[in-house]
Amino acid sequence: MRRRCVCKWGLESSDRSGAISELLSQMPDLEKRRRQLLQTALESREQAGATVVHEGVSMPHCRSILVDDFLIAVGKSADGVAWPDEKVRIVILFISPVKPGGPEEHSELIRHFASRLRDGGAEKLFDAGGPSELADMLGLEILESETDESGS
Amino acid sequence: MDSRYWKARQMNQDLEKLITLHDLDVMIADLSRKEIRHQEEKLGLEADDAQKMLREMRTEFTAQLDRRLLAQYDRLASHYGNAVVPAIGGRCSGCLTRLPTAMCSDPERNDQIRSCPTCGRIIYWAD
Repeated sequence: MRRRCVCKWGLESSDRSGAISELLSQMPDLEKRRRQLLQTALESREQAGATVVHEGVSMPHCRSILVDDFLIAVGKSADGVAWPDEKVRIVILFISPVKPGGPEEHSELIRHFASRLRDGGAEKLFDAGGPSELADMLGLEILESETDESGS
Repeated sequence: MDSRYWKARQMNQDLEKLITLHDLDVMIADLSRKEIRHQEEKLGLEADDAQKMLREMRTEFTAQLDRRLLAQYDRLASHYGNAVVPAIGGRCSGCLTRLPTAMCSDPERNDQIRSCPTCGRIIYWAD
């Protein structure tokens, strides 16, 4: 079964912190304070080492006790986001829950995205024509109601 | 997306810090897990450096915490692995014991540090 994601097509932020915030703000049912705490967690991981996993693609991720299900958001930027030493145009953000079996599922999700980026997969992401196509390329199913289809 | 609501009005600042500390500890532990580490390294991420940096951040972060609270957290983390857990459906998600009704029904339940009366884990309410 495909995991569901939200998509921000046309990230407006030009910096890492802003892009993470934009993507978290797309998540349904995520109250402001919890969003801020998740941002802190993701930024801590980024400060420990930027998660640029391919030229032009970053993958901010962590596990947190603040979520009880996987939260996945993908974003595409036309002008690029400073991450912070190189520009990325695709951001794949995910947060996995802390629960029994959580590390394995988290690892499986990293492996899943890695497989999608291999063999030219990452380059193809830049050519996605819209949120649905981008999600599909990443093996995800889009949450239509939460996805910003505009700005393409 | 099957996400819980976050209805509590206010959260105690120390409780927020403990949640942040817990998330940091999860990240540090994850980078020691063979499979996660392997996947991250395959993607070109420097697991060793990231873990070292996260440990330094933890040291800086814990310096801001109340000593007694940190000692409580560390004692629980070393005993159970997880010192802070959400209450789900009126139960401590650490030991699955039903929590006192008065504790759960208090609208300000996240406004102070509360522990599960059975296992002692620090509880926060996500619903």
